[in-house]
Amino acid sequence: MGVMRIGHINLRVLDMDAALDHYENTMGLSVTDRDADGNVYLKCWDEWDKYSVILTEADSAGMNSIAFKVEKDADLDALKKRITDYGIDVTDMAPGEMNGCGRAIRFNLPSGHDMRLYAEKEFLGKAVGTLNPEPWPDEGKGVKAHWLDHALLMCELDPERGVNKVAENTKFMKEVLDFHLGEQVLVGPDGDIQAATWMFRTSTPHDIAFVGGPEMGLHHVAFFLDEWNDVLKAADIMAKRKVKMDVTPQRHGITRGYTIYFFDPSGNRNETFAGLGYLAQPDMPPITWTEENLWRGIFYHTGEEAGAFTTVYT
Amino acid sequence: MTKNVVTILDTGETYGCAGEENLLDAMVRLGRKGIPSGCHGGGCGVCKIHIVDGAWRGKAMSREHVSREEEAHGIVLACRAYPASDVTLKVLGKMKKAVCRERKYGLV
Ligand code: FES
Repeated sequence: MGVMRIGHINLRVLDMDAALDHYENTMGLSVTDRDADGNVYLKCWDEWDKYSVILTEADSAGMNSIAFKVEKDADLDALKKRITDYGIDVTDMAPGEMNGCGRAIRFNLPSGHDMRLYAEKEFLGKAVGTLNPEPWPDEGKGVKAHWLDHALLMCELDPERGVNKVAENTKFMKEVLDFHLGEQVLVGPDGDIQAATWMFRTSTPHDIAFVGGPEMGLHHVAFFLDEWNDVLKAADIMAKRKVKMDVTPQRHGITRGYTIYFFDPSGNRNETFAGLGYLAQPDMPPITWTEENLWRGIFYHTGEEAGAFTTVYT
Repeated sequence: MTKNVVTILDTGETYGCAGEENLLDAMVRLGRKGIPSGCHGGGCGVCKIHIVDGAWRGKAMSREHVSREEEAHGIVLACRAYPASDVTLKVLGKMKKAVCRERKYGLV
């Protein structure tokens, strides 16, 4: 019942050819459709639905919208009512309005980000199929990302003006969409300002994360890899292909994942996230990181901000 | 490969940059500092500069950070600007946090 997982993300790119070279040849996604407006749809080899990434050529970078898949069509009605009762306007989307999807609903998170929920998307199948499958496909390029794993959205945080969209989003996701809080960062003189949260519906530590910043935006979109060796290999591939890396292979304290951060050719930050992290369950007590340990949480080994990690995003 | 000389007025740093290389990549590769470095893709806006002297060629850059009019006046993103002569520039880019203000709340 309810939200199952992240379904797709719509990214704005400045140059479609350069973006496709990145998402196909570096990340290993394949193009599954193009529409009359020039949007390009891509999926990872281990995904079964038609697409998880929509690229839209535009004159600025960033995220247009993010969509989550719910389990049953009736969930859309139930959630629409809960979202509306919470005081957030919901717009219905007709079947097909989102390419290959059934009916959907859209609304803005308290932070302003455009979120959609849908129950059906055209099925294409994994590259390895479902009958006696091999563990991985021979074909496929670059880092061969398994699936779109999560996104981190930057949300306005200005405690002095009493603005905290991280806390507002977190409350909404928890109370209305039944997400669970996996981890949080608490800052401020009394240690009571929720400056970042990691939330899940699946059994991984996060399906979406919110981090406070001066303005809303997209911090990164993450693709899943199996394990640490894949992360090293992925970094090699990125170095070969001159991808601008932001943070070389590292471990997160928060979520325990193995990570690389880098940018697509339009400046949208990507991550390859590997490892289970841990088994996240609804009854798991949320983990808290204090302000002094914030950077150990983010980059466990160095405990320091790397590059322009929180100050640069799209 | 002829290198154009790039001068950053704010710091007095100079570095060489071939016409095939953008102003930001060359600065970073040579270990110079001066222009804030971010996504290197024309999306984040952190490397905004004003080319006060010299010729350059630009590639697609985010209109959220540089308007057409600004671009016509040499206000560009360094990671999307390629020098066609020696170039003198001023730094306009700021990190999204106020660079001079210390963080009071961990992240902001
Ligand atoms: S470094 Fe991001 S726009 Fe140039």
